[in-house]
Amino acid sequence: MYRYIIRRLIAMPLLLLGIVSIAFLITHFTKGDPLISIIGERQMDNPIVIAAARARWGLDRSLPEQYLIYVGNLLSGDFGTSLRTKLGVGHDLAVRLPATLELVVAAMLLGSVVGITLGVVAARYRDRAADHLARLFALIGSSLPVFWSGLILLFIFSVRLGVLPGPGRLDARTPAPPFVTGFYTVDSLLAGDLSTLGEAMTHLILPACVLGWAVMGLISRLVRASMLDVLHQDYIVAARAKGASEPRVLVNHALRNALIPTLTIIGFTFAYLITGAVLSETIFSWPGVGSYAVDAARSLDYPAIMGVTIVGGAAFLLTNLATDIAYACVDPRIRFR
Amino acid sequence: MRDGHMAVSGTALWMAAPVLVGAALLAPAMARADDKPLVIARDMDINSLDPARTWCDTCQIYVSNVYESLIGLGPDNKTLTPRLATKWESNADQTQFTFHLDPDAVFSDGSPVEAKDVKWSWERLHNIKGGPSFMMDGVKSIEAPDAHTVVVTMEAPNSEFLGILTAPYTGAINSDVAIANGANANADADKSDTSEPWFMANSAGSGPYMLADYKADDELRFKANPNYKHGKVGISEVVIKHTKDAVAQAQLLESGGADVAMQIDPDTAKTIKNDAVTIESVPSYNFVYVAISPGAKGNTVKLTKEVRQAIGYALDYNGTIDFTVGGQGKLQPAPIPNGFPGTADLPTPTQDVAQAKALLVKAGLPNGFDINAEFPNMNVYGVDLSLLMQKVQQDLAKVNIKVSLTPLEFSVWRTHVRGDGIPLTAVFYAPDYFGSAQYIQYFAMSEGTPWWKRAGGANDASITNAKEADLLKQALAAPEGEKDKFFHDIAMEMIGDRVIIPLVSPNVVLAHAKSVKGVRYSACCNLPLDEITRE
Repeated sequence: MYRYIIRRLIAMPLLLLGIVSIAFLITHFTKGDPLISIIGERQMDNPIVIAAARARWGLDRSLPEQYLIYVGNLLSGDFGTSLRTKLGVGHDLAVRLPATLELVVAAMLLGSVVGITLGVVAARYRDRAADHLARLFALIGSSLPVFWSGLILLFIFSVRLGVLPGPGRLDARTPAPPFVTGFYTVDSLLAGDLSTLGEAMTHLILPACVLGWAVMGLISRLVRASMLDVLHQDYIVAARAKGASEPRVLVNHALRNALIPTLTIIGFTFAYLITGAVLSETIFSWPGVGSYAVDAARSLDYPAIMGVTIVGGAAFLLTNLATDIAYACVDPRIRFR
Repeated sequence: MRDGHMAVSGTALWMAAPVLVGAALLAPAMARADDKPLVIARDMDINSLDPARTWCDTCQIYVSNVYESLIGLGPDNKTLTPRLATKWESNADQTQFTFHLDPDAVFSDGSPVEAKDVKWSWERLHNIKGGPSFMMDGVKSIEAPDAHTVVVTMEAPNSEFLGILTAPYTGAINSDVAIANGANANADADKSDTSEPWFMANSAGSGPYMLADYKADDELRFKANPNYKHGKVGISEVVIKHTKDAVAQAQLLESGGADVAMQIDPDTAKTIKNDAVTIESVPSYNFVYVAISPGAKGNTVKLTKEVRQAIGYALDYNGTIDFTVGGQGKLQPAPIPNGFPGTADLPTPTQDVAQAKALLVKAGLPNGFDINAEFPNMNVYGVDLSLLMQKVQQDLAKVNIKVSLTPLEFSVWRTHVRGDGIPLTAVFYAPDYFGSAQYIQYFAMSEGTPWWKRAGGANDASITNAKEADLLKQALAAPEGEKDKFFHDIAMEMIGDRVIIPLVSPNVVLAHAKSVKGVRYSACCNLPLDEITRE
């Protein structure tokens, strides 16, 4: 298995280079002018200002030259400077990726645990009240637009009830904990600041629930379908005949076999949310990679677009690898060559 | 059956949840305890924190409160007030301006503000060739004959130069500190100046506030300048919290997470039902307009002056204000904001469908024509441009002008409008300072202005209105008290051109906690923070 993992890791940079090259070509051939985010609308008809901006940002060079400069810098770890934020893209991503991971991990944990539980309950009590309610809850979660459910939950719990905080990772009046990992929960714990830890965790509840609710619908339906398939297998009958308790039958025998397709979805969803949670990030003012990606695309911020592509590509490649490893852990029959 | 019991209990919990939620909706909101920093919720559209490169609405708030300008704009948004300059004079023909600096003014590090800093800042502003560099166009020389006197000589008369200096981008930078961090004001500063990364994390001004911290797309923190010449400000720490969505801004305000919400539209404002929040709708100098480009390549017919006037008569101005901003806006006759020099007594735009049809018949288009409209897909100052253009489409349909709508990303729209041109479009404008010349230099059909180029002035001589350039020269050379009539004449010419047709000047919704005082709209600076206090 270790050889397999190493081979996958070695191939990763080449795959990422291919992805970045395609993204580079697509963005540079897209209609639109990135200068609007650099010098603003008022001066966009001033040839002197336009020429100065193009020269400063290397946009007056030929496309092959721009590509080679970019790749050369990339190989030395320089992701370039964002045309929009004027900060290093590496720095921007280093700040945003932990914010996104914090949200996505919380959402996926919630969505996976609740989704799997609902799926098991629904399968066990097929066509009964529990099944219908579980499926209804999951269906609502996966059908509701995230921006709508986010605003409604904010209105109920933050504005009306006042039991949960509003948008943001922390209250704006609370300074962020000293940067170590970028995870406000972890960093405040490391700093011994329990008040900020509590605040960071309460700020995480609503966005994680909104995102997690959308995820759990997908997971619960898949688990239910897999479980229904597995529960009719001979080994389940045999386990029950041997006197195994119902929880043991469901979890140790049935769920373990039903999890393989679910792991695929969990991995794929996790990778997708790294750059795709833009609606949640917008509603909850969560400064993550998704909203950064959308802002970069809208302003044709080439370096930022490339940076996000690398992050997104790496996320998919790494989660695919992690999923493959998880298969082997769940099903000992699976071996890697 | 234990398992069945557990399942039923769980089911009962799921069923109870909606009931609990429903009861919760009737509960009153709980207010948060007041905290010291003032939190402002708005969409942070920051492109830089370098005063010579920055260009955005949030940037105006930042720069005006950190880098003090020589001249300020009073609460009436018209009166020039002393700031770093205690007094100033101009010569009779408006070609030379002398400023006397406050000898007590100091930068945030305690060093004195001197004439050399002003000279350096303005030269750098011009030479960086960034967004605001045009503000120093026409300046022939800047001299500092002594430590507290600045003399500016213009290449041509410019009676608006004093107004330009109210713009926050002209604020004074501590030149010694900036130079030590890679800044320079040389002629090639656009290539040789390397200080922008430093400005993104530090400030070097004399204003009431300093930069405390900046996290892009997250928050901008100000802290009070301990050396501010006017002493302690009302609020010692201010945070601008990036909140893109107007509804989220309103929720943050209602829940107490923010003290000021800056971009709430009138519809969202109506949903705020909290006695601790004040909502005020005030006129602004921003406006949204449609532009007709006779020289655009996609035109199906020649958009003569008669055709353009027909379009102008077909539009339902009052209906557009009701439709887009719920009546919270004003009519604006010319592409110069109401209240600016020269706008008194301008004829109010009116809809006259019969007149529109008659003009089309006269133009040889009795059956109307097709026209393509591309516009930025955005909501700006509370006006959704998609909705606005749908209203325009409906209005023009009444005179058989069939409009096909194509919303575009702003960067793509920009490429189109500068390239082949767009027959009909909609976009917005906000003032850079209090003065009418900026609008004429941008919108007039004089050779070389941005909209003259976009409308196809280089290809179609009939678009050019030579009177406007002549009148502008006279306005800029006129002493105070006499320039209004020139600007008025220019405004009338621009109304007659019918290339730029303002549709709505949306009000600004000032939404803030009742305990916060001094929140007002500023034409130059958006939000003067040093005027804000908390009860």
